[in-house]
Amino acid sequence: MDESGVLNKKLKENYRSLFNQQWSPLTGGILLGLLSILILAWSRPWGIVGGIRNWADWLFYLIGVFPEKPNNPFFYSSSIMDIGLIMGAFASALAAKEFALRIPPKIEMIKGFAGGLLMGAGSSLAIGCNVGAFYSPLINLSANGFPMMAGLIIGSYIGLRYLLWELEKFPPETTGFFSAEKTEKRFDWKRLQPYVGFTVFIALIAWAYLYSSLAYTELGGLLLFGTAFGIIIQRCRFCFVRAFRDPFMTGEATMTKAVAVSIIIGSIGAAILKWNGFRSEFAYVVPTFWWGAMAGGFFFGIGMVIAGGCGSGTLWRAAEGQLKLWIALFSFATSNSIITALLRNHGWRSKLGSSIFLPDIFGWGGSLFLIAFILLLWHVILSWNEETNKFTLM
Amino acid sequence: MNEIKADETLDARGLSCPMPLLKTKKAIEKLASGQILEILGTDPGSRNDLPGWASRMGHQYLGDKEDEGFLRFYVQKK
Repeated sequence: MDESGVLNKKLKENYRSLFNQQWSPLTGGILLGLLSILILAWSRPWGIVGGIRNWADWLFYLIGVFPEKPNNPFFYSSSIMDIGLIMGAFASALAAKEFALRIPPKIEMIKGFAGGLLMGAGSSLAIGCNVGAFYSPLINLSANGFPMMAGLIIGSYIGLRYLLWELEKFPPETTGFFSAEKTEKRFDWKRLQPYVGFTVFIALIAWAYLYSSLAYTELGGLLLFGTAFGIIIQRCRFCFVRAFRDPFMTGEATMTKAVAVSIIIGSIGAAILKWNGFRSEFAYVVPTFWWGAMAGGFFFGIGMVIAGGCGSGTLWRAAEGQLKLWIALFSFATSNSIITALLRNHGWRSKLGSSIFLPDIFGWGGSLFLIAFILLLWHVILSWNEETNKFTLM
Repeated sequence: MNEIKADETLDARGLSCPMPLLKTKKAIEKLASGQILEILGTDPGSRNDLPGWASRMGHQYLGDKEDEGFLRFYVQKK
């Protein structure tokens, strides 16, 4: 084989390992932990719900329900990160030839809707989803991440009980349909997918430069951070639902380990940035300790298991063409928007709990130890369960 | 792959995680030991989920093959 032949072969191999094979969850966990530090250094912690609520706020504003004009979604940091995540996951699914419109049977659409409603309610009470009220707060040394975690564990257990009950109640039926089969017979659109995917990547980079030229470089950076989150999450199929649900379902704790490692890495970086005063100590210290976070986590946990996607998971699965998650995204965003407005208008938002910055109580080192200890304990218990199947339901 | 003869087929097309796996688990309970279940699916995650689950449960994962816009997975009951 001549040199260019070898180069060609190597390029193909690299492409395959990047976009054909699934990356391991642990790789994803490490990368997401590092990205969480970088995005905090660049601008702010990673979050999801603020952006999708902003879109739903616009919907309610345009139909006359909300009197006040919401933030411009193209100049609002949460919204930009979400757009980046969706487009990044979309482009990544295309590059992997994994994009297809997947239309599930009716019952799944109803579950998507109901799960989204519960996620919207839960993330209003917790002021954030699994990312904004669990993952990012723990990384940012905020106490509300712990009751959220407890709520998510209990909620996912109950959500899974429902799924198993449904499985007994409704016999397996012929399921939905999907578009790929029909279109493929006429035209092999799958071959084109990677080209479209890379066009989307290039468009995102151009868009970021456009922000920069308008003196909004920070937003341009957040768009690219969102894109990077989207690519990593889609390639690993990184799934917080799995982390909480699978120990009860199949016993498997791989994703749980990835989430634990990710938070531990991120918390060290965030502690460095905050201790040095590069970032406000109060970044993502959310005033929901403890009951807002606990109740919110509980409802969110049930909802994410029924919908089959959490804050981040709903976005990347929707971007892959799963109609069930589009429905979940709609009911998630709209219910969060309405309930958050209700909480605000009645002054209840201040009654969800208090803001506790862990280093104020345990010191910096103590806080890092506490976070690592609780997450490792979670992991050890679940690895033990992986062998013994003590809490496994199926 | 072509010579695999399935005893039962489960159509999980259009479903997303975790439903293909839950339905597979339910469907395989009805088979006798050594029988083969074919699962039709469209969720890219099933490519890792089904072999992982099968090996945990002791079933034999026989492989998958691509059809027009969906995948066919084969699991032999232990």
